[in-house]
Amino acid sequence: MRLRSSPFVWLAGKEWRELLVSKSWWILLAAMGPLVGVSFIGAVRTYAEVSGWNGTAAGVGEALSPLIGVWAPTFSACELAAVFLLPFVAIRLIAGDRQSGALKLELQQGMSAFARIAVKALILLAGWLVAMLPPVSAILLWKSYGGVAYAPELTTLIIGHLLNAGLTIALAAAMASLTEHPSTAAILTLSFTVGTWIVNFLAAVQGGWWERAAGYTPTAMVAEFQHGLVRLDTVLIAVVLILAGLALAALWMRLGVAVSRRVRESIVCGLAAAAVIIGCTFGTASWDTSENRSNSFPEADEQVLRQIHAPLRIEAHLAPEDPRRLDLEHHALSKLRRIIPGIEVQYVSATSIGLFEQTSAHYGEIWYYLGGQKTMSRMTTAEGVLEAIYSLAGVTPPRESDEAIFRGHPLAVSPRGAGVIFYALWPTLIVAAGFLVRRNL
Amino acid sequence: MLFEVRGLSKRFGQIAALSDVSFQVREGEVLGLIGPNGAGKSTLFECLAGVLPSDRGTILTGGKPVQAGARAELLFYVPDAIAPWPAQRVGWALDYVIGYFRGRAPLRDEVVDQLDLRPLLDQPIGTLSKGQRKRVLLAIGLLSPQRALLIDEPFEGLDLRQGRDIAAALRAHAARRRTLFLSIHQIGDAARICDRFVLLSGGRVRGEGTVEELASLAAARDGSKAYRDLEEVFLALT
Repeated sequence: MRLRSSPFVWLAGKEWRELLVSKSWWILLAAMGPLVGVSFIGAVRTYAEVSGWNGTAAGVGEALSPLIGVWAPTFSACELAAVFLLPFVAIRLIAGDRQSGALKLELQQGMSAFARIAVKALILLAGWLVAMLPPVSAILLWKSYGGVAYAPELTTLIIGHLLNAGLTIALAAAMASLTEHPSTAAILTLSFTVGTWIVNFLAAVQGGWWERAAGYTPTAMVAEFQHGLVRLDTVLIAVVLILAGLALAALWMRLGVAVSRRVRESIVCGLAAAAVIIGCTFGTASWDTSENRSNSFPEADEQVLRQIHAPLRIEAHLAPEDPRRLDLEHHALSKLRRIIPGIEVQYVSATSIGLFEQTSAHYGEIWYYLGGQKTMSRMTTAEGVLEAIYSLAGVTPPRESDEAIFRGHPLAVSPRGAGVIFYALWPTLIVAAGFLVRRNL
Repeated sequence: MLFEVRGLSKRFGQIAALSDVSFQVREGEVLGLIGPNGAGKSTLFECLAGVLPSDRGTILTGGKPVQAGARAELLFYVPDAIAPWPAQRVGWALDYVIGYFRGRAPLRDEVVDQLDLRPLLDQPIGTLSKGQRKRVLLAIGLLSPQRALLIDEPFEGLDLRQGRDIAAALRAHAARRRTLFLSIHQIGDAARICDRFVLLSGGRVRGEGTVEELASLAAARDGSKAYRDLEEVFLALT
């Protein structure tokens, strides 16, 4: 690097070198091969079976999308790595300077702590991009088998995992800056992740506000992207959380600022982030990038629904853990919210599992209120919900069109070469590269 | 005068690490900060460098307070017992200091030779001995661009010959109008290299000046005894 380069470039170069000498990053890289290998090989085999491989009954495979059948499980390795491996890489890069004493030297340069943390975050993101090479190479393998890869849904999936990694990096950076020791930072980071799982659990058991909060946890966010759905509010909230985490890390990196001032600024930062997040929840735009439109009603139905302008209210007498409620949410209401953002949905139940409410006369009823009229149905499928709304609105249901039905991309092949690449070639390459790079730095 | 410290105080809970510390630093001098272990020397340096918040006090240049952000242009502090960038090689670390801090690139080879670092340039910093690491830290300080250089225990971990060589190197840099402010707990080392001294004990400045000035101060305090060297003066004033 030229001595005349800007301090920013020097810092970026130094952080990159620190990443290259970090054993935790090389371990993350090496682990990604087998993790992706297990997921990809298993997914391709299952996909082949449902596509009629080795005499298995074909049929389901016709409706099977590669996004759900192959890419969601293959890229789930990224989710696993982001939760259990990436935090250690991030904490090492952030806390390492403090541990070695380098931070005391570097802070005297005068560069803003926000610029410093931004450089570290960018380098960590670059490191994560390298770690995503195995799942990306799985796409090439799939194409070599003759499989179909639909670019918009794959791009959405990759963006989802990048955002998830960004959240992990921001969280780990904040914890590494807030705490004195890397092990404390690691414990707090993992505790936070476990905390989001608890929110998901409470959402499933209690519903209500927990359900709403669970919609914005990293797990829920990744699940949306895995289905090819891009929601403006989810993306904005993830970006705000990333920026808030990095800002917190920067605030606490300034060793020369009094702790009381850092606490005050952190509270202001947290309140500002909370306010922006609340604002973001009003963002209703969303895009279904999946090839099979798994997050949308058929286009003809959407056109009819868009013509209904009267406020629609749905009252579902279903408990949070009732499978019918999940069906209703996933197959109908989530799609309906995308077309009618002002829809009001209210769940009514006395218990969380609904088992002892079955004898209640009204349990299982779904009431639809539209333009002063109401109707009741017990159907939880998309077709049942649409039928109730159409009858209430007095509109004619659109004619079913065979052309609109997604036919799927069945592919009955074995995952040839994947085992060698992910279990042997990739780890060997990483071990060799790690040895050479660390020796020659 | 390069800068003045006025009324600097720092507490750690109930313990007053620094109490109303005031002194002056002159341009081009080698100023020694001497005091027993726990006197508050490192705390003082960290507060001056802005890597530890002080409770009260200011740094002044030309009678005007130096804001926290502007300190980076005035002084550079080299802490004791750190091993920055342990996995990186010495040669790269020196280049990084020059590049990142906009340091003194023309001095690189001279500093490397003065501190006998050439055989270590390809060694990772984390593998160096205590004395070798100290020499690397001194090089980092000498290559930094600021006019004033604060070094915490510059002779710690060095043998006699290395100590003498380092002292000569530091004096050579001071001769070029580089102001050096050295925290030293070994009085002999301090007497060998410093022009003036700030005596710190229990977080308070007990005296400031040349050996003669401090000796006069000590004599004035007890009224009779004539002090001949820094060691006696130190014991009398602290």
